[in-house]
Amino acid sequence: MKEWVIETKGLSKRYKGRYAVSNLNLKIEKGDIYGFLGPNGAGKTTTIRMLLGLIKPSNGSVHIFGQPLNKEKLSILRRVGSLVEYPSYYGHLSATDNLEAIRRILGAPAARITEVLDIVGLSKEARRPVKGFSLGMKQRLGIASALLGSPELLLLDEPTNGLDPSGILEIRELIKQMPKQHGITVLISSHLLSEVELTAGTVGIIRQGELVFQDTIAHLHQQAQGSMSLIVSEPEQALATLLQQGIAAKKSGDALLFANIGDHAVARIVKSLVEHDHAIYRVEEMRKSLEELFLQIVGEVKPS
Amino acid sequence: MASFFRLIAAERLKLSKSYIWVLALVSPLLSLAIGILVSPDKFGMTNDQEKYALLVSSMASFHAMLFLPILTGILSAFVCRYEHVGGGWKQLLTLPVSRSGLYFAKFSIVASVLALTQLLFLAAVCAAAAYHGYAVSLPWETMLTGIGSGWLACLPLAALQLLVSVSWSSFAAPLVINVMLTIPNILVVNSERFAPFYPWAQPMLAMLSFSGEDFGAFALPLENVLITVLGSFVLFLAAGLLYFNRKEV
Repeated sequence: MKEWVIETKGLSKRYKGRYAVSNLNLKIEKGDIYGFLGPNGAGKTTTIRMLLGLIKPSNGSVHIFGQPLNKEKLSILRRVGSLVEYPSYYGHLSATDNLEAIRRILGAPAARITEVLDIVGLSKEARRPVKGFSLGMKQRLGIASALLGSPELLLLDEPTNGLDPSGILEIRELIKQMPKQHGITVLISSHLLSEVELTAGTVGIIRQGELVFQDTIAHLHQQAQGSMSLIVSEPEQALATLLQQGIAAKKSGDALLFANIGDHAVARIVKSLVEHDHAIYRVEEMRKSLEELFLQIVGEVKPS
Repeated sequence: MASFFRLIAAERLKLSKSYIWVLALVSPLLSLAIGILVSPDKFGMTNDQEKYALLVSSMASFHAMLFLPILTGILSAFVCRYEHVGGGWKQLLTLPVSRSGLYFAKFSIVASVLALTQLLFLAAVCAAAAYHGYAVSLPWETMLTGIGSGWLACLPLAALQLLVSVSWSSFAAPLVINVMLTIPNILVVNSERFAPFYPWAQPMLAMLSFSGEDFGAFALPLENVLITVLGSFVLFLAAGLLYFNRKEV
């Protein structure tokens, strides 16, 4: 039995008859980094807001650390750090005072402020009012606030928004360290697969409010495995020849397509076609990139 | 309870760095100017006690009729403003705080600054009396009753303004509503029929009830004022808490 840090059952949110999130069954394992993917407006932020109790679900339930969120909200939230949508800040306060306002509520030790500022690389800017910060710096401050209470679960909604490439890399490394060093479970949402591809162990893909994929990143890689394409002189006869030998293929134009076949199978196909006097012009591997597969899953590109 | 005090401490930090509390000085200073300019001797008053009454009522009428209700609105709008601007609601409510606790914390901050204003007003009255060189000592009991009940009478307004300010992310809209409801005071306080039920008029009725004026609603005993205050306070606070607990952030 795995230990689920987040488990939702039939989670739905309806706005004026339209489902923003419908029947979501998320399962997030302890110590995992969960990439929560979907295009803009798919319901990622709505889901995260429900996970944090900012909005009430229309249907379904949320369990965090095995406890029901609607009953144990405060004790759950004490163990969760979050960054929702754009970062929150008080413009008239310095970075230190922003964190101090949160620290007073959490009752965390004062030394923790210096620690988190150091982690996100804001130590030098700590005394400046936050209204003069760039979006990337506010984002870092948001991450620092999320870390302030030494949480066991981090919910980060598009945490690299507005960061420059080196900042993205830095934050990605930081997130990677979380489970290893502190045993923290992380949920990180993004509209880019490449964003979480290198960090996440599991991905959930949401499309128009529905979860359309939830599995390990390794399984996603497997699905993205390419197919073989053979271009031959007489594709129709070749297809018939192969069918006689019990090899399934699909004809597309002049090419024959074979899905998910190994090296030996390729060799056998080529050999038998040559023996039947077919001319083989090309043997190509058609590799689908993970990004293409993702776009296909979220329905922005029609499957070919 | 400890978590409530932690919330208050956080609110205090946010407020103290914003300098909005400087507004607490405005009305007492203006009242002081009025107190210095008014000269009870012209009315032929010889009794120091009567002079006191005139001094206090002229200072309190401006303070309680306009400035105090308006300040209540500004403060309520302000403690919500920095949450609306930087997305603070979202962040605060993902922390382990109860929504009612947060609402009460905001309310307490507004109430404390109003209390500070009332104390400064008291200081202004003392200063004006010293300037005129009145021999008798201040009528402490009536003064403190007036100051205290004036403060109580502001609390329903604070509760309502907090409700409006929480629900609207605009800073100006709650202020406009507040001023619109405060200006009619000038007329309403003269009406025996309406003034006892008009929440915005209560601070003035409460603060002037000792002054011996007996026109309009001023003849009403303080108990009547406090009943209106309590009734509207319960109503507005309950509405605010109900709304805030259901608000989608």
